[in-house]
Amino acid sequence: MARRRNPADAVEAALLERRVIVVCGSGGVGKTTTAAALGLQAAIKGRRVLVCTIDPSRRLATSLGLSQLSSKPRTLDLRRFAPAEGGSMAAMVLDTKSTFDAIVMRFAPDEAARKRILGNRFYRHVSAALAGSHEYMAMEKLLELAADERFDLIVLDTPPTRHALDFLEAPDRLMSFLDTSVLRFFLRPYFVAGRLTLKVATRTGAMAFRLIDRFLGLQFLQDLSEFFLAFEGMYDGFKERAARVHVLLRDPSSGFVLVAVPSSQALGEALYFHRRLGEKAMPFVAQVVNRVHPDPAQDEAGRRPGRAPRETRLDRDLGERLAEVFLDQQTLARVERRRIDRLEVDSRERPILVPELEQDVHDLRGLVVVAEAIFAGTTANGRARRRA
Amino acid sequence: MLLDTLLGKRLLFLSGKGGVGKSVVGAALALAARDRGMRVLMVEIGSPLEAARYFGAPPSGPRETEVVPGLFTVNLDPAGVMEEYVRKVVKIEMLARRILESPIYHRFFAAAPGLKELMTLGKLLVLAEAHEGWSRRPQYDLIVVDAPATGHGLSLLKVPVAASEAVPVGPVGHQARRLLGLLRDKKKSGLVIVTIPEEMAVVEAVELHRLATEEVGIQAQAVVLNACHERRFSEAEEAEVLRLAADGASGRLERGIPLAGALRAARRQLRRAKLTRFYQTRLKRSLPLPLVALPYLFREEIGPEDVRELAERLAAA
Repeated sequence: MARRRNPADAVEAALLERRVIVVCGSGGVGKTTTAAALGLQAAIKGRRVLVCTIDPSRRLATSLGLSQLSSKPRTLDLRRFAPAEGGSMAAMVLDTKSTFDAIVMRFAPDEAARKRILGNRFYRHVSAALAGSHEYMAMEKLLELAADERFDLIVLDTPPTRHALDFLEAPDRLMSFLDTSVLRFFLRPYFVAGRLTLKVATRTGAMAFRLIDRFLGLQFLQDLSEFFLAFEGMYDGFKERAARVHVLLRDPSSGFVLVAVPSSQALGEALYFHRRLGEKAMPFVAQVVNRVHPDPAQDEAGRRPGRAPRETRLDRDLGERLAEVFLDQQTLARVERRRIDRLEVDSRERPILVPELEQDVHDLRGLVVVAEAIFAGTTANGRARRRA
Repeated sequence: MLLDTLLGKRLLFLSGKGGVGKSVVGAALALAARDRGMRVLMVEIGSPLEAARYFGAPPSGPRETEVVPGLFTVNLDPAGVMEEYVRKVVKIEMLARRILESPIYHRFFAAAPGLKELMTLGKLLVLAEAHEGWSRRPQYDLIVVDAPATGHGLSLLKVPVAASEAVPVGPVGHQARRLLGLLRDKKKSGLVIVTIPEEMAVVEAVELHRLATEEVGIQAQAVVLNACHERRFSEAEEAEVLRLAADGASGRLERGIPLAGALRAARRQLRRAKLTRFYQTRLKRSLPLPLVALPYLFREEIGPEDVRELAERLAAA
């Protein structure tokens, strides 16, 4: 097996040099915590960092020990961590609906179009629920933040998708939906005449539309066609910005960190994501596997050096239960180890392993502990350990 | 008894943060209901791994399949449900195929916000109202729905709310309103919140409860605290374990297990068990709901025997 690059070094270098770090993974793997820990580490090292989360359940707020987080960047107090000169960290939550509104406000061709869209029933009720709109808005926001000179590094936590990959593919789906070139052709008659005349090019198209009419009723079609007609002037702008995101995400100044836990499902997703990044020519930084259970047979963390061990006699029943607890944890650790080895072989990348922590992480101090675990394996830390 | 309340419903939605084990809990709940002689259907929505494996059966796909006598599973793929609906409305297969292949279908139907989700919920409505043959007996006494993780799970339930407002007339609007009626019917529908003893998951559970009540109007019935580390040592033994660990005790237990390693494992277990109790108390304080604790299972993959064990725990709760 070829010697693989040190993943902790790769993440550390990325945090110091790059402009955008996108943190991806399937739901429930500790993505938000990882994103926040990486952001904090970069801030301590002297960069001006913004951590942006899209999570509707506002988990970052908990990670940062804040009860609430706003959709405007809010600077955190890092004094007790004594960050290097210039280092700072801000955090924000991305609100899909208000980002969408802001884009309409900014890019609508004129006041009338702006009003038509914002007041449209379809838009009001459905825009935030549009398939892929969370992901799309995250990318719009990313574009805006990447140009923001107040920050050196943007750490983007991604929406809690069931599949990690949705984040990359959802924007294309939204763009395809908003592409009015096909739809407006069919919908115009509804809007212009307000009549039920269908002037469609093909019989299949006519049938498809009769079907939509049967499903949704005329009123909805009118709302929808109004929305699309008002949107027409904005589509090219959306498309142009989507193309810029496309470029931004492939730029060497961006990077992806994949997060998983040692379950077969999450590791499978991470592997698949890794492959797709390669296919899409997007820069991979490292994989982080959170909540790895230590093997009690090997784990040295609890050992106290410098004291001679004592032979002990134990109550038989207690001894049996101690053995049980040991075997339970050992089984789990071995199962996880096998799965992680498979990921390493298949992706040809060594993952960073973050052990299951003694305490839950829900404040800045906890994030420092996570960051320490992530960077324990850097070459520099390895040398320091050997000296000690 | 918790099961009595839960099993009195026709439709139970399970939701919670990703990775808390909703499918396993759903499977155990379905099995517990079946053990009481009910006909149960477990529905998954676009799940990559199917719950059928928890009953030792092959994947069931989009058709309801009896995996254990009286227990059926189905994995609804929203896009598939939508196609099925088109086929049902159009009736002629050739025409349906042409529609399904047309660009307008792909651009509109396949990407339309919430439409697939609405159709999926509509399918649940059909299943919930289905009767066996001509009799008045419902086809399923209970339908357990493994909804996607919070955020997405809740947005699934919010689809009929949005649709009933966005689509004022027509069959979709009508269906959305009927669905909403069913979700809000306390006698028929309920939400089961699944969580684990971890800060983020607990915060999310509390938030899910609030949003489900305020924004959807579905009534939460219970909280299942999954993956609990239970007390395995008495207080005196705990003190003994800590003392031995601090002393650097060594030696071998049965099967050659090193005592030092076992003590480390035990200390970790004590800590997790303490955290479990902490979150249990917190959930009891913040949510006015019955709470059931299910144990953490040290397994490579959860299998049928494990689901059986959890079902028995639920029945005893």
